[in-house]
Amino acid sequence: MDSYEFEGKTTEEAINNASRELKISPENLEFEIIEPGSAGIFGLVGIRKTKIRVTIKESDDDDDNFEDYEDLESFDSPREEREEAEKIDYEDDIDDEDDVDEEDSADDEEYISYLNIAINALDNILKLIPVETRVKGSCSKGKISLVIEGETSGILIGRKGKTLDALQYIINKIINKDTDKKIKVIIDSENYRERRIESLTEMAIKIGNKARKYKKPFSTSPLNPHDRRIVHLALKNVEKLETRSRGEGLLKRVVIIPKR
Amino acid sequence: MEMKNLIEYISKALVDKPEEVIVTEIEGEQTSVIELKVAKEDLGKVIGKQGRTARAMRTILSASSTKLKKRSVLEIIE
Repeated sequence: MDSYEFEGKTTEEAINNASRELKISPENLEFEIIEPGSAGIFGLVGIRKTKIRVTIKESDDDDDNFEDYEDLESFDSPREEREEAEKIDYEDDIDDEDDVDEEDSADDEEYISYLNIAINALDNILKLIPVETRVKGSCSKGKISLVIEGETSGILIGRKGKTLDALQYIINKIINKDTDKKIKVIIDSENYRERRIESLTEMAIKIGNKARKYKKPFSTSPLNPHDRRIVHLALKNVEKLETRSRGEGLLKRVVIIPKR
Repeated sequence: MEMKNLIEYISKALVDKPEEVIVTEIEGEQTSVIELKVAKEDLGKVIGKQGRTARAMRTILSASSTKLKKRSVLEIIE
C-alpha cells in the first residue's frame, strides 16, 4: 500500500492538495493527521501547516489495518508522540531473548573458561572506574550471570539501569568476540534486575487500568527492548488489553490499547 | 589517568588489533578529552551498530566521571 505525505494550511486544504496531486477524489483517500496545524496567534505567530499521510484505498481488506490507526489518533498524548505512530511491531520484542537457549550449548568446561574471562574483564573495568567491588558469577546453559557486590552506591546502575546495561553490553561484546556461539551475559547489582521487573510490571498494570477506564490507548515512556518485553509479558494474559511497540530505533514506547 | 586507562582497557578487549589502540588524554581545567584511535579495520568494533558500543563506552566513562568528579568527553578519531 503506497502512502504519501501532504501539507496544507488546514486539514481540508491538505486533503485537497493530496487529491489533486494524486488525481484521486477525496472520498477515495484514507488519511491520517501526522501533525495538526495551528492558525497561530492572530494569524501571525506560530503558524504551522497541517501534515497528513495519505494512503490510497485499494480494497476493503485494508480497513482492518486502519482501525489501529484510528485508535492511535484518539490518543490523549502530546503531538510528538503521534509522529511515529505508523511503525508498529511488537513480536520481535517478545522473541528478542528466548532464542539463545535453543542454540547448541557449549560444554561446561568451555563455559567456565568464558565465565572466568567475563568475571576478569568486568573486574578490571570496575577497578579502573574506580570502584571497590567484587564480581561473583555463575553459568548455566548459554548464559553467564554476573553480580557486582560492594561499593556500588547507584553509580554502577545509573538512571534506569543505563550504566549496568552499558557494562553488560560491553562484556557481551568481549565474550562473543572470538566465538560463533551466542553466549549471553547478564550483569546485576543490588538485585536491580528483579526490582526493575517488579516496577515495570506494576507500571504496566497501572497504565492498563487507566486505558480500560478511559477506553483509550496510553503509552509508556521510551523503553529498551528488554524493558518492553517485560511490559508485553506483564499484560500478555490480561483480557481486553493489547500491547504494541511504537517508534523507531532502540528505544520505543509500548502502547497499551483496550480492546473493544 | 584512570579514565584513559579505562577506555584503553575496554577498547583493547574489543578489537582484533589491541597493539594498534592508542588512547590519549588531554586534561583541561574542568574537562578531560579522551581520544581513541584504533586500526582502521577495528573502527566498527569500537563504534558498533548505530554507535551502540561507542555509546556504552561513553556511559561507562560518565560513571567514572561521576566517581572522579571530573568531566570527560570520549572522541573516536578516524
